[in-house]
Amino acid sequence: MTEKEQQQIFEDWLSQHKGLIFKIVRAYTFTVMEQDDLFQEIIIQVWHSVPKFRGEASVITWLYRISLNTAIKWTKKERKHYQSEILESVEHILQESRIQTDERLIWLYEEIYKLDKIDRSLTLLLLDGFSYKEMASIIGITESNVGVKINRIKKQLITKSKKHDHYGI
Amino acid sequence: MEFEELRKIWDAQNDQPLYAINEKAMYNLILSKKKQAHRITNISELLIIIVYIIAGSFVLGMNLYDQSSNISMYVLSAWMLGSALFMLVNRIRRIKGSNQFDRSMSGDLDHAISVATYQVRISQIMLWNILPIGALTILGLWEGGKPIWIAMVVLLFFALSYYAGGWEHNIYKRKKRELEVLKSKLNNAG
Repeated sequence: MTEKEQQQIFEDWLSQHKGLIFKIVRAYTFTVMEQDDLFQEIIIQVWHSVPKFRGEASVITWLYRISLNTAIKWTKKERKHYQSEILESVEHILQESRIQTDERLIWLYEEIYKLDKIDRSLTLLLLDGFSYKEMASIIGITESNVGVKINRIKKQLITKSKKHDHYGI
Repeated sequence: MEFEELRKIWDAQNDQPLYAINEKAMYNLILSKKKQAHRITNISELLIIIVYIIAGSFVLGMNLYDQSSNISMYVLSAWMLGSALFMLVNRIRRIKGSNQFDRSMSGDLDHAISVATYQVRISQIMLWNILPIGALTILGLWEGGKPIWIAMVVLLFFALSYYAGGWEHNIYKRKKRELEVLKSKLNNAG
């Protein structure tokens, strides 16, 4: 694959699926500095992954696999470096959309953020309609394990959402 | 809420992206990467020139002082001084060429990529340059009848230098790749 072809594919993927990357960035980060850092890390890993893509899975599945693995690794290594308040004052590459975001969506992201990193990945995949088989292949755990975890996550989210409705937060 | 409701809330965000890419911040990032690439290139060019001039002059001076007839050492000093001259010519060319980029975001990024490409090329040449210098040094030691253990130590030193040079070369390649990714991202944002 020539560099030009790689660049073309990368640009196509980014223009069509950047929303997917944004979701993962939002779910795995807390501060804007972290968002910038993880976004750039994912983008670089996606770039490197282009020549390895063989078309055995869909582009969305491939991008989810690359982005989630990067986010999980990033969570282990980098998060502790971005706790400083000072870093909050610099200008950031990713800016939150000015369109009014649904308060329930903000709540949902907050709840996803509270989960551990594997459950977080599973929740994103579940909400985006992936099958248990696809989830197992992306995350690298067994299908039955996915089923157990998903049932627990669903129950947890439903219970919390009921409390959220009740208190009208 | 039931789970299907949660999914509907989730799906609604597909119509409105969570983030927008801030071009001004990206420009600042490009400028800082450009400055960093310039600084690294500048320092490494000057270091290479100084080190080769000192090492070449030292070898030549020692040979002349000892009135040695060790041909390999004369070739080695000429090679080192030639390497310094090669680096100097490349540096002048690079500085002259830097005026061709316009002061736009894309121009700055192209300039940063050009400097990074230059740095990758130079580090590759300098890596290969270790081989003739190492070979001439060993040959010079052999011609001068030095003990074998000295040749072994020198060989080990050059092997380590080659390894460190390869590692440095990979860092430059990665930095160049990061800039290219940034350019793709910029094209995509635009």
